[in-house]
Amino acid sequence: MNAVPRGGTRKPVRPFSLALLLLTVTGLGYLSGFPGGAGVVVAPAAALVSMLFRSGPWDELAPYAPVPVLLALLLEAAFAPVDFGTEFFAGLAGVAFLVWLADDPARPAGGPLRAFPTIAIPSLALGVAWSSALFLPAGALPIGVAGALLVFAIAAVAILVGRPALFDREEA
Amino acid sequence: MRASSKHPLRWGPVAPLLVLSSVALMLWAVVTRNPVPLFLALPLLLAPIASGVEAPRRPPSVVIEETVGGGGAEVQLRGVVRPETGIDGRDLRVQVDRPSGLVGATPPMFTWTPTEVRFAVDWRAPEPTIVDIRVPAVVWQDPLGVVEREATSTAEPIVVTRYPPELLRIGTVRLERTTALPGETRSHRVGESGEFHGIRAARPDDPPRRINWRASARAGRPLANEYELEKTGDILILLDARPTPLGPEVDEHLFSIARAAAIGLSESFLAVKARVGLGVFGEFLDAVPLSTGRTQRVRIEDAVRKARLASVSAPPERCAVAVRRHFLPGITTIILSSLVDETWSDLTPYLRRRGYPVVVVSPSPLPLLAARSQLSPEDEQLAGRLLHLIRRARIARAWEDAPAIDWETFWSLGNFVDFLRRPRTRRAG
Repeated sequence: MNAVPRGGTRKPVRPFSLALLLLTVTGLGYLSGFPGGAGVVVAPAAALVSMLFRSGPWDELAPYAPVPVLLALLLEAAFAPVDFGTEFFAGLAGVAFLVWLADDPARPAGGPLRAFPTIAIPSLALGVAWSSALFLPAGALPIGVAGALLVFAIAAVAILVGRPALFDREEA
Repeated sequence: MRASSKHPLRWGPVAPLLVLSSVALMLWAVVTRNPVPLFLALPLLLAPIASGVEAPRRPPSVVIEETVGGGGAEVQLRGVVRPETGIDGRDLRVQVDRPSGLVGATPPMFTWTPTEVRFAVDWRAPEPTIVDIRVPAVVWQDPLGVVEREATSTAEPIVVTRYPPELLRIGTVRLERTTALPGETRSHRVGESGEFHGIRAARPDDPPRRINWRASARAGRPLANEYELEKTGDILILLDARPTPLGPEVDEHLFSIARAAAIGLSESFLAVKARVGLGVFGEFLDAVPLSTGRTQRVRIEDAVRKARLASVSAPPERCAVAVRRHFLPGITTIILSSLVDETWSDLTPYLRRRGYPVVVVSPSPLPLLAARSQLSPEDEQLAGRLLHLIRRARIARAWEDAPAIDWETFWSLGNFVDFLRRPRTRRAG
């Protein structure tokens, strides 16, 4: 049985996903070139604010819970220096954010397990991308190719997001 | 129309956040020639796509079972939502809306398992009411909250009626007589207890002569004859749905109380096999002809549910003429009217003139007006006393035509039931 607290009351903190998020964002904050070395403070603070939004008694704030931690991640990644370790932590922080997103205390426990197929696809892609970056040689040309591919990917995502019916396939 | 186009896949509020963030990160990565934002963007960009691919390919169907319990003013709704195979019950979001006639601040309690979602919610009816509890909205949502899709169900809304408990024993009141229906030809076969009325299920104490053997053989279960002297008679319930000077809000409130009382009265009298008819008079008369049995109960409940206040008032003469068309004179008639209008608009004298013995039950607007008042407590007390005097005078004027019961304590109709139990007064009315 899996009862969820009524609205307007405090919800339990899900420790596993929060710990994973704190660990990765703090790691990224440490490795990023955030001004004054404040990355290790800003990112965990943002994660805790997000946790408060979700687990606190203010139901109206819960939908905005991902915003603080996502903003902190954006800032950290924007200032981060080029390094394989930083790249790895950036990707890991993205996956940890997805795990934390799936572990909503307003919903039944076990969200990350149920979301495993959804999180596994980006994780796999991330693994391929990071190992390619690590093992393949790079130069100015690949950056140009990557830019062109990026424009194509953004256009494809824009089409998909604009037309969710594309996923609507009637089973035979 | 395809079910999927009726309940399409929708992006949740997180989806645009993820996509916009990832697009910003990727642009920043290209501009600064820094791959780090790109690595953060990758999972955020792919998650919505993966969620869309993982989502059910058509609207998931669910079975919703609901029961309503509680007595008196309490309404306890319990339910269970069972999804089709392949859908995890923990991914369902159930939304139970509180009907407008009920109160209660506590949100519903949900319990999830992989195969079902159970919910429980307690409401209270501040006064007698009849409300439709809508079927809960069920939405499938992926664990990330990125995509969602409305589920389909074949459940029907539940009708909840709450009326004063005294009405449950009103059926024992002996009504004046049973009249023939329009076009009905009375049987010449007079039994030991009067004229033949119908057939009912046999009871253990029925003598063999009372058993209808032919009907029993046809039905395969013991049936007995029933005679008219055993019946309590006929009753007509007339709802006054005309607007009053109190305004639509108070009118609607009073009408809702009157509708609940009409349901209570009809159920009680139908339970003792009386024939019950219903009239709803707004601009015109909507009538449910006299009949008895479970089907009639459904007919009356349906008509009361659909009954709405008229926007235009109609002359009482029109009501009396229309009633005469649907019901034979002599039927005991209970009028449910707020008696707020002037005396000229009373239905009672017109109906009495056409031979209908009338009793008026009048839900009082005073408790509703007091609840909305913004006066100071002293002024409120004074205003309340004045309004009570005016109301008493109005009821007294109504008594000149027929017995009128002032119904002010909405959860009690003891005065009315006691009145109906006094045959002499009823005949005088």
